[in-house]
Amino acid sequence: MSNADITKEEILAVFPKVAATMADALGCDVEKVKLDSSLIDDLGAESIDFLDIVFRLERAFKVKIPRGKIVEEARGDLSESEFDQGGVVSAAGFERLKAYLNEVPAERFKSPLKVADIPRLFTVETFCKMVIRQQRAAAAAAGGGAAPA
Amino acid sequence: MPGMEAHFRAFSLVDRITRLEAGGRVEGRYHVPEHLAAFPASLVAEAVGQLAAWAAMAVLAFRRRPVAGLAAGIDLLAPVRPGQTLELAAELESLDEEAVAYSGVALVNARPVVRLEHCVGPVLPVEDFDDPAALRQRLALLQADGARPGGFDGVPAPDLTGWDGEAGRVRRAMLHVPTEAVFFADHFPRRPVYPGTLLMHANLEVAAALTRELPRPVGGQGWTARRVSDVKLRAFTPPGEVLELQAAVEKLDAQAADTLVETRKGTRVISRARVRFVPEAGA
Repeated sequence: MSNADITKEEILAVFPKVAATMADALGCDVEKVKLDSSLIDDLGAESIDFLDIVFRLERAFKVKIPRGKIVEEARGDLSESEFDQGGVVSAAGFERLKAYLNEVPAERFKSPLKVADIPRLFTVETFCKMVIRQQRAAAAAAGGGAAPA
Repeated sequence: MPGMEAHFRAFSLVDRITRLEAGGRVEGRYHVPEHLAAFPASLVAEAVGQLAAWAAMAVLAFRRRPVAGLAAGIDLLAPVRPGQTLELAAELESLDEEAVAYSGVALVNARPVVRLEHCVGPVLPVEDFDDPAALRQRLALLQADGARPGGFDGVPAPDLTGWDGEAGRVRRAMLHVPTEAVFFADHFPRRPVYPGTLLMHANLEVAAALTRELPRPVGGQGWTARRVSDVKLRAFTPPGEVLELQAAVEKLDAQAADTLVETRKGTRVISRARVRFVPEAGA
């Protein structure tokens, strides 16, 4: 499933609830949560916060978000060994990641990139898109159209 | 096996596992030793968490184990006294190589005393914390004859000093995590970590001190902790750490006193939770 066909309107529709959920999880003011905020660098998220955010988003949007989904989907048809070697993202993987995380400013992508550092790239918009993809997947599985935010 | 006995006697709060469905429900029991002075609710929650951890480790073939992380809610429904037997149950909601999510309950005489709602624990390599073979052997014992009850000698009261704050608004204290304590032999043998439930207990002590400064509720002798929610543990606490604990009133009315408790190491927030106090019955 691609990120490219997700519209700005769809993103803005889910953003308020995503922002409120993140503010709750991170114990910060919702005004601090911007669409382009980096979760780690701007909002101070740590690894446990990612788990917290995913579970809160699941409950807020009533979708199932498999952990590790972002990296798995970014990898696409690349095998794990094509995507990274020894924990470092390969050149092909790097390009795939840049295309998939197209909401992340290009200057934030630094090569070499460790797989463990991929979450440093994630912005609030990354999670908005993840929610939208899961809503679409749930709607498709149910045989209906797009789910409301 | 004396070494194994000392290991698990230190902080293991499940005596017997009576039902273990792979990735599903797990049930067990724990007899609270008669010789203990008290058995706080945080240890009851620990017992439920340990039961869920056994179930998770069994599914993950003892390659990985959960550690404390998040809890949506922990209801503190009734006190538990030494000599009582906890009937424990947990339901794994999800489990993978990264995290386990579960809910659970502890009952005494068929009455719920502590209920855990949607807890999430990160899942980490067992070998970093403990001997996988010893854990495997222990689970076999728990599922067969069960462990001999009564070995646990309790935990020291939290060492809280340097109390300050503003009466009835915010209360702070420094928690001195012991450098050495018996429970570190079990939590964990290869990487001693101050248990999250003991940190929660210390936080509850600070919050309780704060509520003693609040106006007495109508129809109650005082305030008693009823629910801990939005619990998040963000870091491991090693032995000997000194942490700043703070409890602040968020909302106060005749029915409830809502507090926010936080633990900090310097500027870093180590843990955070909300604690709801309600009027204590028996006026």
